[in-house]
Amino acid sequence: MKPNVLLAILMGVGAALAQQPDQPPNVRHVIGLDKIKRNANGHLTIQNGVMQFTAKKTEARVPASSIEDIFVGSETTQGGGTAGRVVKTAAIAAPFGTGKALTLLMRTKVDILTVVYRGADGGVHGVILALPKGLAETTRTQLVAAGAHTSAPQPELKDRTKP
Amino acid sequence: MKISLGIFLTLSAAALLPAQTPATPKLHASAIQIELVDVGDVSIPAEFRYAIYERLIEQVRDSRKFEKVFRSGDKAAASVPDLVTLHTSVEAFTEGSEMKRELAPVVVGSTKVDVTAQVTGKDGKTLLTEKVAGKVRIFGENLGATNDLAKRITKLLVASF
Repeated sequence: MKPNVLLAILMGVGAALAQQPDQPPNVRHVIGLDKIKRNANGHLTIQNGVMQFTAKKTEARVPASSIEDIFVGSETTQGGGTAGRVVKTAAIAAPFGTGKALTLLMRTKVDILTVVYRGADGGVHGVILALPKGLAETTRTQLVAAGAHTSAPQPELKDRTKP
Repeated sequence: MKISLGIFLTLSAAALLPAQTPATPKLHASAIQIELVDVGDVSIPAEFRYAIYERLIEQVRDSRKFEKVFRSGDKAAASVPDLVTLHTSVEAFTEGSEMKRELAPVVVGSTKVDVTAQVTGKDGKTLLTEKVAGKVRIFGENLGATNDLAKRITKLLVASF
């Protein structure tokens, strides 16, 4: 009887998870969006020809047609967000170089997406976003499909990560 | 004897006083336009190029030295009579590693961007040229060098205007 109950619970959890709508990936705003704070985490969506970044209650919208170029790069940086930074700063004072061990453990590889667009006044803007590894190329494809312009791909800028 | 003593004291005082260099006259402008960073033949990732540009706009605006700070290509800039333009060209770039910096601080892994910052007037005449370097030596991601660079260029502008 017990295995049946467990199976039913597992199936129920699985079904509940399957019904959840796809959450957009967590993206870090490095710089470039006027209304959004630096290093704010949020969600990036591309819908109806508009790239939208939402961080808490603030959102920034860039029409895909105004995008003049998109660059994809990658970087190895510290993971764990703000909490990670706090933990690592605290660990600096720890004895026997444990802080350095933490440095090695908390590495994470991210994609860097640079979006260059022109505002209504003609001014050039450069938006830099840090995305989970492997998502920048997909996002670029989506933006191009939505009407963004881009120059030739720059493979020499990819995989230039120095861990 | 008294005259000799007087001359001696006068000469001593003159020697002790710091040499007064003629103060360079400050430049004046109500608005500045910040042009995109020229990378020339230097191999530098696109995010660094645009991060320098965006951080310069942010820092110069925050300094409140100019009434208006225009982005590159902003059409409204053309109507400002005393507009100056900031041109930044990358001379050298060394990309370091955040991990190496934290494991062996100062020794390895520094990220450095060397640029020439040039301010021109509306007639195209050069008003100011200076070499500036942005670095990140120990903590922080590589892009932190762009923040350091923007701060230094802004400091230069504040001192000159």
